[in-house]
Amino acid sequence: MLRHLTLIFFLLLCFKSAFVFGDTNPPIHFSNAEILNPYTTRIPFKLVDHLIVVKAEIFDKEGNFIIDTGSETMILNKVHFSNVYEHQKKNASASGIMHSVEDSYEKHIKEFVLQNFKLENKNSDIIDLSHIEKSKKMKLLGIIGYNILKDYEIFIDMHLNQMTLSKVDKAGEKLNKHVYLERIVDSVDFKLINHSIVVNGQINNQNVRLGIDSAAEFNQINKSVPKAVLKYFIPKKRMRLSGINNGKVEVLAGKLHRVKLSKKIYFGPMLTVLTNLNRMNEAFGTNLDGILGYEFFAQKRTIINYQKEKLFFIDYPLNHQ
Amino acid sequence: MKKFILHTATIILTFIGFYALGQTNELKGYKIEGDTVVFTFDVREYSKFTQEYTGQVVDFNDLDIENVVVSGEFNLWSRDNWEMKKTGNHTYQLRKNINDFTDEFSWEFKYVINNAYWAEPSRKDPNIAKATKNGMRMHGVYNLKMYTAYPSENGNASFKLKGFKNAKRVILAGSFNKWDEHLFKMNKTEYGWELTLQMKPDIYQYRYIVDGQWMEDPNNPYKTRNEFDEFNSVINIKEYTTFKLRGYTNAQKVVLAGSFNNWDEHELVMRKMDYGWKYVIPLSGGKHHYKFIVDGKWIVDPNNSVKEYDGDGHINSVCMVK
Repeated sequence: MLRHLTLIFFLLLCFKSAFVFGDTNPPIHFSNAEILNPYTTRIPFKLVDHLIVVKAEIFDKEGNFIIDTGSETMILNKVHFSNVYEHQKKNASASGIMHSVEDSYEKHIKEFVLQNFKLENKNSDIIDLSHIEKSKKMKLLGIIGYNILKDYEIFIDMHLNQMTLSKVDKAGEKLNKHVYLERIVDSVDFKLINHSIVVNGQINNQNVRLGIDSAAEFNQINKSVPKAVLKYFIPKKRMRLSGINNGKVEVLAGKLHRVKLSKKIYFGPMLTVLTNLNRMNEAFGTNLDGILGYEFFAQKRTIINYQKEKLFFIDYPLNHQ
Repeated sequence: MKKFILHTATIILTFIGFYALGQTNELKGYKIEGDTVVFTFDVREYSKFTQEYTGQVVDFNDLDIENVVVSGEFNLWSRDNWEMKKTGNHTYQLRKNINDFTDEFSWEFKYVINNAYWAEPSRKDPNIAKATKNGMRMHGVYNLKMYTAYPSENGNASFKLKGFKNAKRVILAGSFNKWDEHLFKMNKTEYGWELTLQMKPDIYQYRYIVDGQWMEDPNNPYKTRNEFDEFNSVINIKEYTTFKLRGYTNAQKVVLAGSFNNWDEHELVMRKMDYGWKYVIPLSGGKHHYKFIVDGKWIVDPNNSVKEYDGDGHINSVCMVK
């Protein structure tokens, strides 16, 4: 028995070393992922405007992916993966808020390399994302969504600009406990409705249901919420938003005040737009009053555990130097 | 699901302008001092003001200025949130921490007088972008543009291109300004072309545009292949970072070791101060692990709550340069 364990330990060690010493050639190092152990990796991200963007490689192509807890599947950009699997055309198309996204077909991903961290056997949709490439001036290979993220506990850390992925068991326990050293100061339960993270919160002491979406550049509040809630939405400006399907809609933008998730977890005023979420609620069988996006993660260093249906929070450090 | 990706913030303006004012070499409307963005407004630099709703154009002599506000993409074009302080008869200023803005940005903004009159930049100002309404460009109406990278004589990155003396125009474009093909004009020197920028610490990619022809920097060996199967040059901007260890004043020797110097146990000997120990070192943008070695004993930084495991299960302190 002991011998077995030693062997396994040795194999794990080799496995890890291979990762660590695999790629150390170029004179300038682009910030690489760190493999903590076979179950945990830290992946640095960049903020492109308000989008969380990581480097990843797929089908021998390397490029940017947006981390999107609001997307059900992985999405590949048709611009870079145009010639693949036309015949697998999907019937039920991926839906956006405004209307269904056309021309998406499903592709089975055998192997997906996220900064040396291999993810296997996932389905993806193929959609034209060239309008995001154009507006953000970056090579966008696709979007990493729920079907990839759900097998991990995910720490989205806007202080260290990195995402920590830890493999979990069915109960949501991390397979390796040595992941975080900073204190978890708070937690809040969420409900997973289809693929969406939904929390119960309060605005002006009214109960609201809010979706958490890491790729929403601005928070959104539904037009049909009670007046007492809208009282704390202070509009400033009309502006136009464009969605994943390049459709455009004009919305009212402003600041949303007094958002609370519990007695202890509350937020400063957040940039928010007033939109109609009814179509999206219909499409996904949710009943959301709003969506918390970039500002949520910017104000809270957040750990998402899909199995436990819980969010955990770590404080920003006080300036120490 | 959803996905509203904010695309264009549009301003509601309906006027065709006429222009005045000469070319200024400095970027108009803001400067960056250390980690502070300083918005500066001098009413004499603007000749035209447009009333927001009526489109009425007024001269600045006709305007009694009660307040000036910075309005832009970063605050959703708020007309009253970012009010400026009066610093002189004609000048106003507002200081904002650079951390209030996200990475890799280029923001459009304008100044608003009395919450209603837009100060119109001239076509000749160097950092302008065409204003858009409902996705359409508005003829003759401009916004000011702001970048974290900007030309400055005392900047931290000098770009030099030797030769090409017969070229009419050389532009520096890169990931620091979303590859803008017009903004950063290089200056002609004895040996070729030069421009100095001030930038946030990070690794950037860039190219030169010599009379319309894109090329990599021939004198920079660091480059990476781009999507056109050519090369982008790569530059690593570092920032001087101070490490302090408070206390331990009885120690003989304290060494700083970290991921930035391969955990060398001898190289970075800290200087003794009255409060403890100190070392200043230029670091690349991003995350760095470090520890102190106090008389041979490794310790984490007792004043830094941010710590991480490394791949071997050791605990290190973490500092973030951004």
